[in-house]
Amino acid sequence: MAFNFNWSPLIADTSRARDMLTTALNKSPKPPIIVDDIIVTELNLGTTPPELEILEVGDLAEDRFRGIFKMSYTGDAFLTLKTKVQANPLNTYLSTKPDFASPQPLAAASGLTIPLQITLSDIRLSGFVILVFSKQKGVTLVFRNDPLESLKVSSTFDSIPFVRDYLQKEIEGQLRVLFMEDLPAIIHRLSLRLWSPEFQELESETEERLDVSKETTVPIDPLATPPHDAVDAFGNLIDESTISALSLDPSSELHASFSQKNMIRLAALSESQRTLSLFTPGIRDAVFRAWASNPDRPESGAATPLLTQSSLSRIQSTFGSVRSQASSVASGSSGQDTQSSRPTLVSNYSAPAGLGLGANRARGHQMRKRKKRVVDLRKGRDGAESSGISSEANSPLPSTNVSESASVSAEVIPEEREKEEELATPPKSPVKAGVHFEGKHGGLDVGEPSRFSEKTVATDTLLPPAPLLSDPPKLSKSKQKPQFHSHLEAPEPEKKRASSRPPLSRNRLRSTQQATSPLLRSLSFDKVSSLSAAASSKLPLSPSYAESNASSGGILEQAWMLKMAHEIAKKVQEEKDGASRDTSPQVQAPSKGLWAGGEEEIDAPPAYVA
Amino acid sequence: MLDFMENVQNSFYDASHWNVDNSYGALNATARALLDFQTPKGLRLQISSLAAPNFATSYTLGSVGVVDGSVSYLYSSLPLHRKFKSSDLDLQHAIRGYRHLQELRRPDEDWWWEVWHSGKRIDRRDTLLYGRIFLPQSRLEALYLRRLTPTRQLRISAVSDSNLNNGGTILTLLQNDAGKYSTEYMYSTDSALLGVRGLYNFGADPRVAPTEPVSAQQVADPPHGRFSAGAELYYGLLNKSGGISTGLRFTTLPNHTGFPYTMTLTMNPLMGNLSSIYAVKAGPNLALCSRFDFNFYSYESELQLGCELWRRRSNADVEWAVKKLRPDWKQPAIAPDDDVTGILKARVDQNWRIGVLWEGRIKELLFTLGASLDLKKREQVFRAVGIELQYSS
Repeated sequence: MAFNFNWSPLIADTSRARDMLTTALNKSPKPPIIVDDIIVTELNLGTTPPELEILEVGDLAEDRFRGIFKMSYTGDAFLTLKTKVQANPLNTYLSTKPDFASPQPLAAASGLTIPLQITLSDIRLSGFVILVFSKQKGVTLVFRNDPLESLKVSSTFDSIPFVRDYLQKEIEGQLRVLFMEDLPAIIHRLSLRLWSPEFQELESETEERLDVSKETTVPIDPLATPPHDAVDAFGNLIDESTISALSLDPSSELHASFSQKNMIRLAALSESQRTLSLFTPGIRDAVFRAWASNPDRPESGAATPLLTQSSLSRIQSTFGSVRSQASSVASGSSGQDTQSSRPTLVSNYSAPAGLGLGANRARGHQMRKRKKRVVDLRKGRDGAESSGISSEANSPLPSTNVSESASVSAEVIPEEREKEEELATPPKSPVKAGVHFEGKHGGLDVGEPSRFSEKTVATDTLLPPAPLLSDPPKLSKSKQKPQFHSHLEAPEPEKKRASSRPPLSRNRLRSTQQATSPLLRSLSFDKVSSLSAAASSKLPLSPSYAESNASSGGILEQAWMLKMAHEIAKKVQEEKDGASRDTSPQVQAPSKGLWAGGEEEIDAPPAYVA
Repeated sequence: MLDFMENVQNSFYDASHWNVDNSYGALNATARALLDFQTPKGLRLQISSLAAPNFATSYTLGSVGVVDGSVSYLYSSLPLHRKFKSSDLDLQHAIRGYRHLQELRRPDEDWWWEVWHSGKRIDRRDTLLYGRIFLPQSRLEALYLRRLTPTRQLRISAVSDSNLNNGGTILTLLQNDAGKYSTEYMYSTDSALLGVRGLYNFGADPRVAPTEPVSAQQVADPPHGRFSAGAELYYGLLNKSGGISTGLRFTTLPNHTGFPYTMTLTMNPLMGNLSSIYAVKAGPNLALCSRFDFNFYSYESELQLGCELWRRRSNADVEWAVKKLRPDWKQPAIAPDDDVTGILKARVDQNWRIGVLWEGRIKELLFTLGASLDLKKREQVFRAVGIELQYSS
């Protein structure tokens, strides 16, 4: 798949953005040196678009998108501000001091206000961006970390070092606030104006109100309609169903997904873990870690016929990952290579989706588990094929999108992977896998969830790489792919290379590891809901499906959210000081055998080397 | 209206013969009193007492949004005998208005202060200690004032507040006043600010005047005015920034036969700021002041006008009798400003920002009623309104 990132129209008209920036800049209390309103006089986005690297796509449909990007910008945008500053340092210094112990100079502190023109240029940004787009609710863009790396402040006072340094410092501080807090609001409002006509009418009045009440960046009552870009304390996207639990008036579908009873039970369950209470409420369709510790158990266990290997392994992985919490960011870096094989999972999901009409309760359950999984799209080819294979998948694009969401999650904790390997069935030869794949689909058609056990899952993950198949979807996929690269990833040859050539053996092995990579799944929690929504739009899914989906999310999801926040934060940190570890490609090349991930743990993957 | 504690401090200066006006910082005292006065905000009550000649306490309670207050104590080693009861307090002391400078006083000789008792020197330096805590904010102000010698005074003021950098700031001020000239040296812990101020009075030196034989001409023509020049210089060691200003002042002395007036010109050569002040005491009840600021770098200018009007009660039914009193008869010993119904202070600038203050005494309460207005902003003309009530015993 490809993103067509059209930069030029953005450059065309910036007057509105200018106005909004002006309001945003004057919102926060200004330092005493600035004695007038800050007015944005010129705003040029430059000709160089920012570089966006897709780390994860959580949700993708024609009218919605959710994803995490790594953004780096080294373009030629510039911004010119006009304001008045107090040129007397004594004046600004004394204005913040208490009178009682002030020297109270006679006239030495008299002010001299100077009109000041500041030009911000050479803006260097790099950071993780969470982008959520929905046709109804516009674009929301949140920075996961402080994106501002450096910028050049040139002003009227460049010849005076003291003032220059001061301005540089102050402006950087203000800009950080702008990026983290104001810019999301601005972009959101702009997008609403573009996409939702009814908002345009409201906008004029809203804007005035917004100036007064700053908290309401989104002019929608957060409780009345769930925020589309909900982000938890760590900046991770929150599952929509989770949000709906918070909202007072959830939309009809979401409403059905949460029953009071389930909520109470889940609450009791989570409570019981926090205390020493020995009582654990029995919850149907719940998987407990203790069960997961023994991989054979679920297969044999008649009591839990609905348990699939995938669900089990997921739990197991959670467990493992929690234990390996300390696993370094380096481990996260292993993601890039491993992602290549991830798409196989897509097939897993897309197949049932395609067959969806026959979905009974058990199937729904299975699907829910599956959905937690995320599949990498970065190496779009495999995903495309898989979707192609399961020809019934509504359209290759959406399904691949789903898989694309995998991306970041690829930063897998190695320990987990190994662990899961143990759990998962041993890798099989590609040919065999292909056979299995077919067989599995057949099984799926019949709708036998109980049969859909470990083996099928494993084979699923062992989907043969692209060359084996020659479906039309694949062709389209491959066509799209170069485009995608050219738009988004062109400057990074290493990545391209990795993605474009899928060595069979490696791919296959990876896939097994990947299939169960927990982070993936964890990350994809948020996607699940949206995904389900997307699927439901095409397929008449039963509400029970959504329900089960939602209810299963609860506790593990929470834990994973925390975990993920941790990981991402670490990764960001790592990346910041990891620029020196640029040598990874050479090192990797020779040793890219079975366990390419091993050395990747040490070296940041090219994708993360800015 | 002056805060009770400021009033007490002023009386300490008086009692220890320290001339507050002979300082570069007081060069534009008149303009500050008439143009830069603070208008009260909200309601503020103050109850104070000079419990003993050496000890004063004051409590204030204010409500600007939230209720806040302060408690302050003052100790002076020098007994203070001015009247501080709000019922018989001299309003001239409590209200800052036109500063009518007096003839320079010859500083005391060092040995005048010596007190000997049975072969030992037992005299003490006059000291004033003052502390004030603002309650919800937990902000502490402290002042230590000490007359080191007849011509020297040390003033250390400190503010402790968790909101400030380093938790607070201390200002040390060493003042020398030789009458003919005065110098001040200061150091502030905040950004290590160093400061020097100096003021020089042209004309006769009060220290040498009496010893010389004076001619009849000089006796007949005592100085009518005083010309002073001064400068200040600041430098912050930590932020490597400074400030400088110079100033000139001509003011009439009591010997002047016409109405008293003061002209002040201050200049800040670094920032290009020029400020000229002209203040007139047009009558016993009226003072006018104007200030024109001009910046010759930015060409910005500002004009402010202010006035102070003492309004007195005219009791017509006894006026004819008062007129018939012979001048040498002793006037009834009531407070000299007993007939004052109020003092109006007003200022206006070229942007039609107006400040009004109405001060006076009702029974035993001193009140200050103030408002600041902005006529340019039609929708919100009143920027701030407030009333202050003081009671002291």
